[in-house]
Amino acid sequence: MTNESAKDQNSDRALAGWEIVSVVTSCLIAEWVVLAFVGNSKLIGAIPVTLAVALMVFSHSQRSESLKDIGFRWDNFLAAARLLVLPTIVAAGFMLLLAWFMRGRELSIAPLRLRFLTVPLWALFQQYALQGFINRRAQLAVGVGIKSILLVAIVFSLLHLPNPLLTGLTFAGGVIWAAVYQRAPNLFALALSHTAVSLVLALSMPTDLVYNLRVGLKYFG
Amino acid sequence: MSGHMKLVHALIAKSLAETILVATLAVAFYLSAFPPSFHGWGEVLPHNIAGWAVNQADPWERLEVQLFIDGKFVASAKADQSRPDVAAAGWAKDKWHGYQFNVSTLHGPSRHVARVYALCATKKGTQQTLQMVGDPIWFDVDNDGALHPLSDNIILFQRTP
Repeated sequence: MTNESAKDQNSDRALAGWEIVSVVTSCLIAEWVVLAFVGNSKLIGAIPVTLAVALMVFSHSQRSESLKDIGFRWDNFLAAARLLVLPTIVAAGFMLLLAWFMRGRELSIAPLRLRFLTVPLWALFQQYALQGFINRRAQLAVGVGIKSILLVAIVFSLLHLPNPLLTGLTFAGGVIWAAVYQRAPNLFALALSHTAVSLVLALSMPTDLVYNLRVGLKYFG
Repeated sequence: MSGHMKLVHALIAKSLAETILVATLAVAFYLSAFPPSFHGWGEVLPHNIAGWAVNQADPWERLEVQLFIDGKFVASAKADQSRPDVAAAGWAKDKWHGYQFNVSTLHGPSRHVARVYALCATKKGTQQTLQMVGDPIWFDVDNDGALHPLSDNIILFQRTP
């Protein structure tokens, strides 16, 4: 490898790292800063999110990544789903067991709400940002494998602070989903798994434990 | 320009946009939580802490003021008593901006500092802040429980606590 190409590779790794930092910063601004300064303003909260999405889309175009590369595809759906079935069932079972234990050895299901219909879309968006962007950039920054998988999981759990249960669960989920994405990059299968786990969590866990899945400053009230 | 340079520029532009957003939100929040239109003053009387408080952005508003002595909450009151001097000095459009707190619970001899804060609440009442009006008021309490203001020299060089 010539000096020039090694230098290019290093600068590309650094650039990918900064892309991750930039997107995470936008999420933290939306979760913490906007809520602290202007309350529940969806309009202002949408500004950092829009900037992050714009950067991600621009980055994909500059790096010549197609929708298929990112994971919006069906050809490997079954392969990804096969990898996800067992961890998803185990995670859902673990959560039901935890809920049963936390509710005093009793299992009750919360009433269904209309907003649960949006969970699959929200899960797809999160998986796109987490795997389609952050995982791909993490692979560029630190290489394929455990390092990038852990980086994705840490980022995912960081964005769920200070909710202790969600922070722990998202770290575990982040590791599994990131590992599956690196083997079979399919966002639809990941979103399906994410939706299933989210619904089990929201429907079975005691409200005071998951606190309506609130994260960021919203967690405090 | 190479794709990577464009990406670097996009990252810088996004960082600048977010810095401007956060700075704007912080300044707007500060101005709404601690309005610069709040003014006031307080002084020591033999058995009271008295003064005035106005919101020049809303001259007819009677502010709620809270008295803290040595950092502890003592009492709350409406600044709606007559203070013709405040209107005469041009601080307010009418004279009803005075307040007076009876301070009879302190035992002397002792030295204290009082601070008077105006309560500022957002329209929805979701956020409330306390903004100090005037300066900290240093005073001594004698054996009879009467309050005595400290001179500027004592405030500068000998104040405790």
